[in-house]
Amino acid sequence: MAEAVTVDAFVRWLKHFAETVHDSAGHLTQLDSAIGDADHGTNMDRGLKAVVGVLDTNGFDSPDALFKKVGMTLVSTVGGASGPLYGTFFLRFGSALQGVESIGSKELGKAFRAGVDGIVARGKAELEDKTMYDAWAPALEAFDQAAADGLAAALSAAASAAAEGRDATTDLLARKGRASYLGERSVGHQDPGATSTTMLLESAAATLV
Amino acid sequence: MIGIVVVSHSHALAEAAVALATEMVEATDLPRVAIAAGLDGETFGTDAAAVAEAVETVDSPDGVLVLVDLGSAVMSAEMALEFVNPELAERVVISSAPLVEGLVAAVVLASSGAALAAVVAEAQAGLAAKQSHLRETEFTRASGGDGGNASAETSSADSRETAAGRDAPDAGALSVEIEVGIPHGLHARPAAKLVSLVRRFDASVTLAHVTAADRQTSCDAASLSQVATLNARQGDRLLVSAVGTDAREVLDALAELAGRDFDEVAPSFSKAVEPDPLTADGAERSGTTGSGLDIALGAAIVADVEIDTSDYHPGDAALEATRSTVAVNAVEKALTALREDTARQVGIAEAEIFDAHLALTSDPDLLGLVATDIAAGRSAIEAWRQRLADVAGRFEALDDAYQRERAQDVREVERRLLESLIADGDAPSPASGWSAGVGEGRAAGPGILVIPELDAATAAALDADQVLGVVTRQGGATGHGVIVARSRGIPILTDAGERVDSVRAGALIGFDARTGEVWVEPDEEDAERLRAEIESRTQVRGRALATARKPASTLDGCRITVAANVTSVDDAASALAIGADGSGLVRTEVLFGAMTSAPSVEEQTQRFLAIAAAMDGKPITIRTWDVGGDKPLRFLSQPHELNPFLGERGLRLFRRQPEVLVDQLQAICRAARETQVKVMFPMVSSAGEVAWALDHLLEAAAKDSGGMPAGMHVGVMIEVPAAALMVRRIAADLDFVSIGTNDLTQYTMAAERGNAAVSHLVKALDPAVLRLVKLVCDEVPSTAGVAVCGDLASSPSGAVLLAGLGVRELSVVAPAVPEVKSALRRISLSDAEAVGQRALQASTADEVVALLESAQRTPHE
Repeated sequence: MAEAVTVDAFVRWLKHFAETVHDSAGHLTQLDSAIGDADHGTNMDRGLKAVVGVLDTNGFDSPDALFKKVGMTLVSTVGGASGPLYGTFFLRFGSALQGVESIGSKELGKAFRAGVDGIVARGKAELEDKTMYDAWAPALEAFDQAAADGLAAALSAAASAAAEGRDATTDLLARKGRASYLGERSVGHQDPGATSTTMLLESAAATLV
Repeated sequence: MIGIVVVSHSHALAEAAVALATEMVEATDLPRVAIAAGLDGETFGTDAAAVAEAVETVDSPDGVLVLVDLGSAVMSAEMALEFVNPELAERVVISSAPLVEGLVAAVVLASSGAALAAVVAEAQAGLAAKQSHLRETEFTRASGGDGGNASAETSSADSRETAAGRDAPDAGALSVEIEVGIPHGLHARPAAKLVSLVRRFDASVTLAHVTAADRQTSCDAASLSQVATLNARQGDRLLVSAVGTDAREVLDALAELAGRDFDEVAPSFSKAVEPDPLTADGAERSGTTGSGLDIALGAAIVADVEIDTSDYHPGDAALEATRSTVAVNAVEKALTALREDTARQVGIAEAEIFDAHLALTSDPDLLGLVATDIAAGRSAIEAWRQRLADVAGRFEALDDAYQRERAQDVREVERRLLESLIADGDAPSPASGWSAGVGEGRAAGPGILVIPELDAATAAALDADQVLGVVTRQGGATGHGVIVARSRGIPILTDAGERVDSVRAGALIGFDARTGEVWVEPDEEDAERLRAEIESRTQVRGRALATARKPASTLDGCRITVAANVTSVDDAASALAIGADGSGLVRTEVLFGAMTSAPSVEEQTQRFLAIAAAMDGKPITIRTWDVGGDKPLRFLSQPHELNPFLGERGLRLFRRQPEVLVDQLQAICRAARETQVKVMFPMVSSAGEVAWALDHLLEAAAKDSGGMPAGMHVGVMIEVPAAALMVRRIAADLDFVSIGTNDLTQYTMAAERGNAAVSHLVKALDPAVLRLVKLVCDEVPSTAGVAVCGDLASSPSGAVLLAGLGVRELSVVAPAVPEVKSALRRISLSDAEAVGQRALQASTADEVVALLESAQRTPHE
């Protein structure tokens, strides 16, 4: 297929994501203030600004080198729980692409799954704990199902599924993170992590093909 | 010397904590401490890369301890270990200790050159010390009121806590390493033994993994839930650290307990293959097991209803507060010891009963109210009487009959406290309670205890050599004490009411629990008849025991399976020893009832396999979680319902949360791939529910390779009239149904089984219930078998009747196996069927009782 994803496309993806988060930082923080410590927007914005800085000043000759740098940058600049979680995602995502010659939907699907496995291992979240995993899990499934129809279809299916997963977090009871201290009161609020995850996938659908 | 890393969201917080900790130690002795905290001086956050760097900075061959604050600090620290050299990561421990206390303790101990494991345990103990200190001081303040200082002297933990807390951390922690030698690791039962032992000493004790750094690292040894979930497996080594007055003693005792493999008896095949029925039944343990005859005759031992407190001389407020404290401590100690004994001799589920008592004596609200009363001038006795009467009153005002009976727990605690107060600080014996109040009767020789109601503590502590039987004036049949007495084989008759009101101490009294009859001062003829009946039942039981392991076939050759209801591995072993043909009911909600979090699939699988092994591989029927009604499970949320017996019970509860059920089904499937297992769903009302359950069973089976286990029988319980009436549809795809006669009776009669006010209606021998049993036997598809696992099957005459109605498998309380088998061997199936036919034509339960009595005598004559 002619739709192999390049390092440049990945860079566009990350910048697009950084812009989206920057524009939505207020919204993300507002979501987090309802059930957390009101820092998800500012933390992610700070981390992604640092990522953009790195992208602007470095050249990368392979996706794994790119994502290793991105992951480590997020780990060191985000500060909250999203730092190790997004950091782990990109580190594992990059490792999965190491040595891959042509990145199509199958390879990308594997990399997404490796990244998300990392998130689960790190955060020990399960489905319906009201976390970013509630957006990731349906997204992975949708991606895999649509993978045969090409990358564009797979990414767009994943982004839609993530959005549905994100919306479904509203009714869930938080069982992880700061929000879990709120117990029943966490019900009725959309999870900020699932929200930024959906943005990441929407950016991917907009830039990787 | 080990290195220490402090991970915090705030750089300022970490710096201050380090300053506080390092102040304790000479600068020359300081361990290396590095900080990874905050993104910069002002921004809160943690950074895994910075943690990794800090770890590398302070690394030493002795290892590195990482202390963390909250949230992302934990994840960043874990992530950091992936960044550093794997060899270095091996010698790093991330501790769950509280940051400040843990750091202070760690710095002090590390400066002495202590090993990493010891420092880890010490850091963890920082929290335990604070917890126990706060409990002590809160109570001291409350019970002393503004009146005086007397109570401070009574708290043995007080002085050490104060001295240690002000000037230096508890650097004097002692520790010892133990190895977990038992096959299934430190699971609920050995954990309970460990915890009860620890609670008897005045020391804060912590357990920490030495060998398995990847598991939860350490915990408070006084917390059953923590110890049981420490996940200590066979071969693991644990570091036990203790701080406090009894530190040395508790460590010695724990090392000894571990050396005895926590007194666990491994379910061994050799024990099961050639049992001696008499000794296996427990006869060698003098005083622990009752006759199992359901009948007794002897001198009445009448327990006083009220404790005589007239000799009590109240002191001033300070003295009363002291006495109250001493009494509470003594009672807690006694209850904890009882809990341990009961756990060992009877079972964990029974032992848990004492948790309710212990919860009362440590209830901060209650203690506060009593303290206020005493400060206001009341005596300790008045204060406790009043406040506990209030609590009991609140229970008694509840709608739910089972809850109402919990008032008994409160009265039992009151009795213990008052006895201890009267004894003025002498610790009452663990067996204190009604049985202690009847010392004279005991000295005079064995007799029959007549008491208002039987509490669990007394039931567990009764000396079965001295107490031939128990008659209670009140109290329904589901009281905890009754359950414990029955499982010990001690004959008990409940709710005798006015029939025993006038009985004098020493008067002859007899009863037959099977018929519900009581004789007070019987004439010579009645007494002689009772003696003859006892003699006859003794012989019957003796013969029954001698042939218990042979199959039960009627005279005309119809084989009836007689299995046992079991709730533990021990139950299974003793049931096999007295002849059970497997288990027709494994009560999983009791088997795992002590757990506060859901057991894993593997934990459940192992436990099921252990039960099957204890049963020598005979088939076991595992009933899925039967929760709700009067049976809560701590790790499952249940709705508060006005009418729980008609609400989300059994299978119904899982429609909203199927995961817990699917986990269990997966475990059942795993066990079924290795041994003979049947699975059974409780509380089914419709064919739709059966289809739903089968869907989830298929889902669970598909989770492992191997799929649906070959030969695994699948069935449901018939407890609801609707299910009985529709059995043809309900059992269309099933291998068996098992009738739960207790619930079927309460739902057929619309009379709650725990409610004494309607107990006259709750009779399994009611012809209405029997007609439903008959209907099930007649209409069940020919591909499915019919079993009964309710109480009706446990009486020999009930078993005969059920066989006559068409039931071919019975699951009974274990002590009843020999006699049920024996009764079945003495009749022909055609005679049993004739009895069944007549019972169906009877008008009342009483008529059926009379019918069975005459039928039972006929074969002897």
